Amino acid sequence: MLEIKPIFNSLFRSKAGAILLVLQIAITLAIVSNSLSIIKDRMDYLQTDSGYSEQDLFQISTSVFAKDTDLLYLLEETERTLLGMNGVVNASFMREVPLSGSGSSSNFGNKPLDQNESEDYRSVNTAYTTTPASIFDTLDMTLIEGRFYTDSEVLKFNGDGGDLPTQVVVSKHYLDEIYPDGDGLGQFIYIGNSPIEIIGVVERAMGPWPKSNRPLNFAFFPIVDATGSQKFVVRTEPDMREQVMNEVEEVLLAQFNQRVIMNIQGLDDAKREYQASDILMLRMLVILIVLLVSITALGIFGMTVFNINKRTKQIGTRRALGARKSHIIRYFLVENSILCISGMVLGAIGAIYLGQMLFEHYSVPAFSAMYVVYTAIFVLIISLLSVLFPANRAANISPSIATRSV
Amino acid sequence: MLQMKNISKVYQTEKVQTHALRDFDLNVDEGEFIAVTGPSGSGKTTFLNIAGMLESFTAGQYMLDGVDVGSLSDNARADLRNQKIGFIFQGFNLIPDLNLFENVEVPLRYRGIKSSERKERVMHCLEQVGLASRIKHLPQQLSGGQQQRVAIARALAGEPRFLLADEPTGNLDSLMARQVMELLEQINRDGATIIMVTHDPELARRAPRNIQIVDGQIADFTLYQKPTAVPVASVAGA
Repeated sequence: MLEIKPIFNSLFRSKAGAILLVLQIAITLAIVSNSLSIIKDRMDYLQTDSGYSEQDLFQISTSVFAKDTDLLYLLEETERTLLGMNGVVNASFMREVPLSGSGSSSNFGNKPLDQNESEDYRSVNTAYTTTPASIFDTLDMTLIEGRFYTDSEVLKFNGDGGDLPTQVVVSKHYLDEIYPDGDGLGQFIYIGNSPIEIIGVVERAMGPWPKSNRPLNFAFFPIVDATGSQKFVVRTEPDMREQVMNEVEEVLLAQFNQRVIMNIQGLDDAKREYQASDILMLRMLVILIVLLVSITALGIFGMTVFNINKRTKQIGTRRALGARKSHIIRYFLVENSILCISGMVLGAIGAIYLGQMLFEHYSVPAFSAMYVVYTAIFVLIISLLSVLFPANRAANISPSIATRSV
Repeated sequence: MLQMKNISKVYQTEKVQTHALRDFDLNVDEGEFIAVTGPSGSGKTTFLNIAGMLESFTAGQYMLDGVDVGSLSDNARADLRNQKIGFIFQGFNLIPDLNLFENVEVPLRYRGIKSSERKERVMHCLEQVGLASRIKHLPQQLSGGQQQRVAIARALAGEPRFLLADEPTGNLDSLMARQVMELLEQINRDGATIIMVTHDPELARRAPRNIQIVDGQIADFTLYQKPTAVPVASVAGA
């Protein structure tokens, strides 16, 4: 005995409050479900494993101001000095540092550029870095196919330009994209028409931009170009990073003082800094959700209390006519559910439309209807809880109120 | 049908005890029509509330149709009210958001009666009070007399054995009051037991038995001749 028809008729006859509440529920559903979708996407992105033990790694930049310095020699000496420090496991020059938000990327083809009109031509973007062979040990990378390149295969430049590399080690994510059939090892990627052989594949390596479309596409070219700012990545023993970071500037300046030491930063801190705006946005979205849901819950609570106060005599009359307390509670729960479901239907349409708009105009992921379902269930539970207390109060209205002149 | 023995009702506030009913004794037989009169504050409404199980009593024993009301749970009292008692209130107490049909249907819904049977009973009761053609109307679209007739139809819908009327004509002009009174008399002739609280001595005299309550106790009994039967057609046509 749910009284759905009379409740529906009754709501239809006094629509204003009901319409406002339905709209409030619809707006809440549309915004909260889209916010949840964005939060889930950002959480996935924030929790993506970079493939590095970030807490043991830090980066450091040096900029030489002395003229006529043999930069290549200085670079190798700096690596050696870093390796000589207490607590350092390995250190490597690296022109583009992972997770730092700064680096290089390019499209490479699976065929020479002059075959770009062939049917199976594919060009896939990847972040890349030029680095000596020591980087694989420094970043503690896991090789899953082929081999790492060796020091003897590294092309070294000292401001004199140089040849293009002929070998590359790539991340599995990139290999799977450029050669999806799983036969990429030993094949080539092309800069223009110049082939570069894929000699090794690492299990996981995040590039400089964790938020990019392809954060785990990364390629390592055996090139050391000593010109410009020299960046190094250092891996320390566990719990030694702080101490090494504190000492490193002094040690490097002692080795060669005609340079500036900059940007000493843990890779986890660099990543956190890069992701700060996303974390802020996540927090704002969570606050928005909490606020919206709270306002909706308060709205439902307030409207139910208002309805109960307005209908005190009516409730007493119903009790006098034989309604049990449970009938009164059920009446308000059903009335609320009708409003809530109406709002949810409207909100679901709004949510899908809003999701499409956000997808088209902003860099948010495609909206899944599942978020509407989850949010609708959540909103329904919240609304039922909001109505339960006042409905229970209504059920305790004495039937004798029916005979009083109030 | 109804036996009250030594019923007392005390309203207790922090500082004051108010004795609304004191050692109240009453027996009502099936088919009686009783008018209850008395000054304001004498305990009439309290008596009616207790008789209708709308509120509990402090002491005494109340048997309704063989059931000891004092021992019933809240749910059992609600069920008994629904099955045995029809209420007619001074202010009609129709639910403003429901149309006439839905208003009359309310007690039947609480009894869990099937939709088709509900419809049949509601239509029958609305026909009895002459308002079957206005089932889609809302209460506020009717006159006071018509609203009270709807309330009577609602009270009759559950086919109760016992009708409690609280100043049923209190909000009506004399013509409407007379029509409602005639309707109640007809219902009584059809077999229902009626207890009617009223301030109007003229209406009270139309009831075969009068009780006067003063200070929470029965002060006087009066028995009158049964009133002359009034054709139902004149009621329904009002």
